[in-house]
Amino acid sequence: MTGEDWHVVWFTAWVSASSTLAILPFGLALAWVLARRNWPGKSLLETFVSLPLVMPPVATGLILLKILGRRGAIGGWFHDQFNLDIIFTWRAVLIALGVMSFPLLVHFARVAFEEVNPRLEQIARTLGAGGWRVFFTITLPLAARGITAGLILAFARALGEFGATIMVAGNIPGKTSTLSLSIFQNVQLGEDSHAFRLLGVSVVLAFAAVWSSQFLMHRKCKTK
Amino acid sequence: MSLLLKNVSLPLAHFTLKVDFEVRSRVTAVFGPSGAGKTSLLDLVAGLRAARSAFIQLDDCVLTDTAKSISVPVHQRGIGYVPQDLALFPHLSVRRNLLYGRKSGGAGDPLFSFEHVTDVLEIQPLVSRGVTELSGGEKQRVALARALLASPRLLLLDEPLASLDSPLKEKIIPYLSRIRDEFRIPTLCVTHDRFEALALADEIVVLVDGRVVQTGPVPEVFTRPANAEVARLVAIETLQPGSVIRMSEGLATVSVNRVTLTALAPAATSHEVLVCIRGEDVILQRDAASASSVRNRLSARVLSLRPQGALVRVELDAGFPLFALVTRSACAELNLREGEPITALIKAPAIHLVPR
Amino acid sequence: MNRRTLFFCLCCGVSAIALPLRAAEVMVFAAASLTDSLTGIAAAYEKQSGDKILFNFGASSTLARQIEEGAPADIFFSADEAQMDGLAKKNLIDPATRKSRLGNSLVVVTPADSALQIRSASDLTNAGVKQIALADPKAVPAGVYAKAWLTRQQLWPDIEPKVVPTENVRATLAAVEAGNVELGVVYKTDAGISQKVKIAYEVPLADGPAISYPMALVRESKQPEAAKKFLAYLSSKEAGQVFKRYGFILLE
Repeated sequence: MTGEDWHVVWFTAWVSASSTLAILPFGLALAWVLARRNWPGKSLLETFVSLPLVMPPVATGLILLKILGRRGAIGGWFHDQFNLDIIFTWRAVLIALGVMSFPLLVHFARVAFEEVNPRLEQIARTLGAGGWRVFFTITLPLAARGITAGLILAFARALGEFGATIMVAGNIPGKTSTLSLSIFQNVQLGEDSHAFRLLGVSVVLAFAAVWSSQFLMHRKCKTK
Repeated sequence: MSLLLKNVSLPLAHFTLKVDFEVRSRVTAVFGPSGAGKTSLLDLVAGLRAARSAFIQLDDCVLTDTAKSISVPVHQRGIGYVPQDLALFPHLSVRRNLLYGRKSGGAGDPLFSFEHVTDVLEIQPLVSRGVTELSGGEKQRVALARALLASPRLLLLDEPLASLDSPLKEKIIPYLSRIRDEFRIPTLCVTHDRFEALALADEIVVLVDGRVVQTGPVPEVFTRPANAEVARLVAIETLQPGSVIRMSEGLATVSVNRVTLTALAPAATSHEVLVCIRGEDVILQRDAASASSVRNRLSARVLSLRPQGALVRVELDAGFPLFALVTRSACAELNLREGEPITALIKAPAIHLVPR
Repeated sequence: MNRRTLFFCLCCGVSAIALPLRAAEVMVFAAASLTDSLTGIAAAYEKQSGDKILFNFGASSTLARQIEEGAPADIFFSADEAQMDGLAKKNLIDPATRKSRLGNSLVVVTPADSALQIRSASDLTNAGVKQIALADPKAVPAGVYAKAWLTRQQLWPDIEPKVVPTENVRATLAAVEAGNVELGVVYKTDAGISQKVKIAYEVPLADGPAISYPMALVRESKQPEAAKKFLAYLSSKEAGQVFKRYGFILLE
């Protein structure tokens, strides 16, 4: 493993963690709304949120390419207003990872919220707690285990993301090269042993992530 | 205090809850069979549910007025709620549960101080424990204390004794009485057990299929039910205060107006009790001669006879007002007549003693 | 054996031999920059010969890897000698059939509506040029050529940080068309295909590296005869004219 390789690993870990943290508030908010509220057309929103999970990742990547490109709706605005590029920079990677792992986070967080007895929230309100206080002192602590498991899985998904990333990242060495993109490139170049070393690292990372998420979920069941 | 509910309409699964009543007493029981809409009513008062239409006023504060789109948010109503499943916060210790509703800043009313409330409900030793380590009765008291520590101006109790077994029920009743006497908070208490209502409440609202069928002071509703429906639910023809003289071998000797009765001993020892005897449990007999298993044989005089459908309601003077329900044919057979003497037989288990 | 069975066997035997002879399928792995020209040439060839030509277009480096892994190619048409050499070293191609007929030149393209002016190679180092798309300079021929050109001009260290590597030269073209980069370096023949880009600078042949496109028969080919026939056609005058029309340089 060369210095460049470790830089790739570090970059992958950093951008995956950042994207997971970035989607956290939105994911929690959406999960809460889906768990606690009903309205006509709710299933439409649920389907829309799940799309990145079931669509081919490259298809999602293509949509992101169009939107984040310099002539796209979002990329264009940033380019014109702030002279800021999104496409082919780490920002595009972060957004791609965030979009792809968002449905996982929302799903697990929603299940966690649904398992919180609404009666507890109601009683907390009768005791004088307003909406935010109830959320932070009752709902969130009781849903914490499930949410954490969801966060870890979202992080793991981001670590392994390829299809959407390759469309928008450009695989610029030292700037947007992630672990999965690097493995792909090494295979392309015929550098198999190099690719296998990177493969080993990604397996270790994925294993650690999924194992700790399982651990959390099991502990949650035991205390019930 | 006064709690006014007007024009309340709330569609439920099988019927619509439609109530209109006002209560002024300290403790009011909302009484009715399961599924009558009692819990929904409490939810409405607490603001946890919205009605199709409702006007709810507590003292001089309008809590809900759908006509004017007024609805005070739940956390501003100052109404304590102890639900049937208690809803203690499992992730907080008993202490943190108790202090959850505490308004920050200052001493406040010493009546509702932490020390006083935990003292009255005898939960001080439990304070540092986790909620899951408590027994049923302990959880009940903690839930009550938690609601009280938030200094509510109205207390809502949903079937406070329903999930407890009999000995435990009788243990909790004194605490509820203490709450009533010490803290003097107006209380709305939902129950489907008439003896609970008798033990706890001053006034009673009888709710059947979402409709109020009778309201009034407890003894009155119980002895004079407005119609057959209520009668079926509550009717206890004889309700008299009495004093327990002696308890031995599982039996209690009660004195009612200097007449001694033998009843089954209640689990909780209480000197003052309410003696409850259902009309159909009183047997009338011409002569008192032969031995029988009945412990209570009272010489009485017939005061009045009132037909009630297929039965006749016989008012007797047995040293205290006693009512019997007998069939018309029995009445004819025994040749019951006003002013005539008769023997009234009541089995010990038929006499219910409600601690007061 | 009775007569009917004999006749049946004969028919099966004849068809077994005859059918492959009738419609051979030749699989050509070719560099992405050859997409349009080869497709046109193949269409004409199919009409003449009755054989079917199938294509797999991509970066020559990717295609070479695929052949190494045993992909069913009959012909390899690479955009640089290096990739062909790699296969030759592994004895995967028939060296007797190897021929380099085509050349190309490099151009710098910008989006059609761009106002950027490039008058020389050093203009690429200007601050106004933030991102330059190139086919991956580590292996894809178009990128390798571009890097060779810029290295010769002693500009590569300044330009390397701006490079956005793409999978093949057509992807470079797409990036420039979409306006996501200021400019890209592609073959002149690619620039000719697209309406959405314009040539900002033509790399003089003397400045750039020598570009040549070798083609050869893949040793493991299942259709060597048909493949050789098509290779011969690719060297013909007719094919040459098509290549010239698209802007390729004929090397003979």
